[in-house]
Amino acid sequence: MSIFEYNGSALVAMVGKNCFAIASDRRLGVQLQTIATDFQRIHKIHDRLFLGLSGLGTDTQTLYQRLVFRHKLYQLREERDMKPETFASLVSAILYEKRFGPYFCQPVIAGLSDEDKPFICTMDSIGAKELAKDFVVAGTAGESLYGACEAMFKPDMEPEELFETISQALLSSVDRDCLSGWGGHVYVV
Amino acid sequence: MKKEHASFNPYDNNGGTCVAIAGADYCVIAADTRMSSGYNILTRDYSKVCKLADKCLLASSGFQADVKALQKVLGARHLIYQHQHNKQMSCPAMAQLLSNTLYYKRFFPYYAFNVLGGLDDEGKGVVYTYDAVGSYEKVGYSSQGSGSTLIMPFLDNQLKSPSPLLLPPQDAVTPLSEAEAVDLVKTTFVSAAERDIYTGDKLEIVILNADGIRREYMDLRKD
Amino acid sequence: MENSGGFSFDLCKRNGWLVEKGIVKPPSFTKTGTTIVGLVFQDGVILGADTRATAGSIVCDKNCEKIHYMAPNIYCCGAGTAADTEAVTDMVSSQLQLHRYHTGRESRVITALTLLKKHLFGYQGYVSAALVLGGVDCTGPHLHTIYPHGSTDTLPFATMGSGSLAAMSVFESKYKEGLTRDEGIKIVTEAICAGIFNDLGSGSNVDVCVLTKGHKEYLRNNLMPNPRTYVSAKGYSFSKKTEVLMTKVTPLKERVEVIEAGDAMEE
Repeated sequence: MSIFEYNGSALVAMVGKNCFAIASDRRLGVQLQTIATDFQRIHKIHDRLFLGLSGLGTDTQTLYQRLVFRHKLYQLREERDMKPETFASLVSAILYEKRFGPYFCQPVIAGLSDEDKPFICTMDSIGAKELAKDFVVAGTAGESLYGACEAMFKPDMEPEELFETISQALLSSVDRDCLSGWGGHVYVV
Repeated sequence: MKKEHASFNPYDNNGGTCVAIAGADYCVIAADTRMSSGYNILTRDYSKVCKLADKCLLASSGFQADVKALQKVLGARHLIYQHQHNKQMSCPAMAQLLSNTLYYKRFFPYYAFNVLGGLDDEGKGVVYTYDAVGSYEKVGYSSQGSGSTLIMPFLDNQLKSPSPLLLPPQDAVTPLSEAEAVDLVKTTFVSAAERDIYTGDKLEIVILNADGIRREYMDLRKD
Repeated sequence: MENSGGFSFDLCKRNGWLVEKGIVKPPSFTKTGTTIVGLVFQDGVILGADTRATAGSIVCDKNCEKIHYMAPNIYCCGAGTAADTEAVTDMVSSQLQLHRYHTGRESRVITALTLLKKHLFGYQGYVSAALVLGGVDCTGPHLHTIYPHGSTDTLPFATMGSGSLAAMSVFESKYKEGLTRDEGIKIVTEAICAGIFNDLGSGSNVDVCVLTKGHKEYLRNNLMPNPRTYVSAKGYSFSKKTEVLMTKVTPLKERVEVIEAGDAMEE
């Protein structure tokens, strides 16, 4: 078993017309045993920037704390919020620092830039950025999500349609993954 | 004990994806035509769908040599059956035969992932899905092979079938028309070919209905 | 604990323990099982790359950029672990920029080569980046390949990555000295296509970068030979709407407009 499959997770972000959506499942397990059914994988960094962390629970929480700390320092020094692109570079740098002893964690970053242009991005556990124009996925249900999103995604969706698409993709994917499930959280911005 | 020599691995995975959908009066069986090994494409034009009987088709991915051997065994058994009974084997009978053949090699399995599609005695579509050692189930639709994890959620979403635990048992066949089912198969394969490196080149769709067997081909990504 | 730079090894012990205990197997990373090529033509260097990034048998990026910026006159194609190629080229390009500020001269390809090979040799192949480095400086056009362990080659035409053999077959049969720009681009595109179609680790589109004396031309997605082959005419619909358990609407905070007040102060 891979360490990424220890707790189980499903994460997905999609781009719509001047909006984005990010969604995750709610399960936290230890291998096949479910521990919690209301686990938070998606965190708000600021109003227009969300961070989803899949992988080993303990590492996702540690990493989240470090990132919030770095973002607060940035806010104090610069008196403004971080741009999604900047935040992605920060996450990438923090992950790559641990190239030879990584956090077992695959992040998904979704945000709106200054001109309300949506930005989504994911990385592997050592910070190889992957920018996409349509959708990004992560977690144990990643393969199922790729299949579902690839078939369901349409460009330039309005918020309501985007919500329906991302929810359907998430729900049908977690049904085929033993390690994620128990409903989901969806954020549409 | 120290290992003295490198162990010989009798298996390879030649990739590929198979899908089957059962309808009220038809059955659609489809597979891509790529055969690969590691990062190499061995051929772009290899049919994974095999006709076992008049109303029974088998699509298999996995290890091509095992698939070929399995098809040969089934073909031989079907020939004997025809001589003894003077008729074609029915699809449910073939399904049981395939399961037995797979389980016969329980501890040195055929590395083959099969979906069997056909028409039953009343002309209704049926699909049977298998694991490598012969566990099988009658379903309304199924997918096997390298791209199955990508295809299955979308099929679930579009064709969600009633629970097999319901009483009285519900019909598992899908509500789609034949044309809609073919369209759905095309969509799923195009999506799978985008993300699975072992799926591509060409899609072979075989449609089985009261009129007989019809084949359709469509191009997929070639990279 | 914030680090002042360089790698941090503090999770190594724990991660090693997890593997040792047999709880897990070590993780795999995003690879660019790539085709990257480069050749020297009559007035410079042409680099080429495919745009697929894979994680195992799944494509995780269909249109990534594998030709990295090093200096205005130097570019570098990367194959191997995606994070490593990205990080190593970024680091060296920043060192080159500082060096330019310091000396006030254009960077030389040999400088980039030395910095890259020093870094890779220092990590004994653990930083797994296989590179094709190309550029034009005051000493003319240069093309080098760099292997993950830090060894280098200087060649008139070069290929790297999982599709290198497919691409090399094109170069070996078609390359000659003194190619024109258009001939060069054609051969590079053909070589990358050989990798895209015959190697499963490579795919999607062709990126090309042409470097000549005092000029560069980055042809992103020069060729897109793999469009989607089928789009359903009538689309699809969801049979059952998602059950929403709870909805919470949080209005976004209005952005504060910063108005330059410089003139008002002076009045």
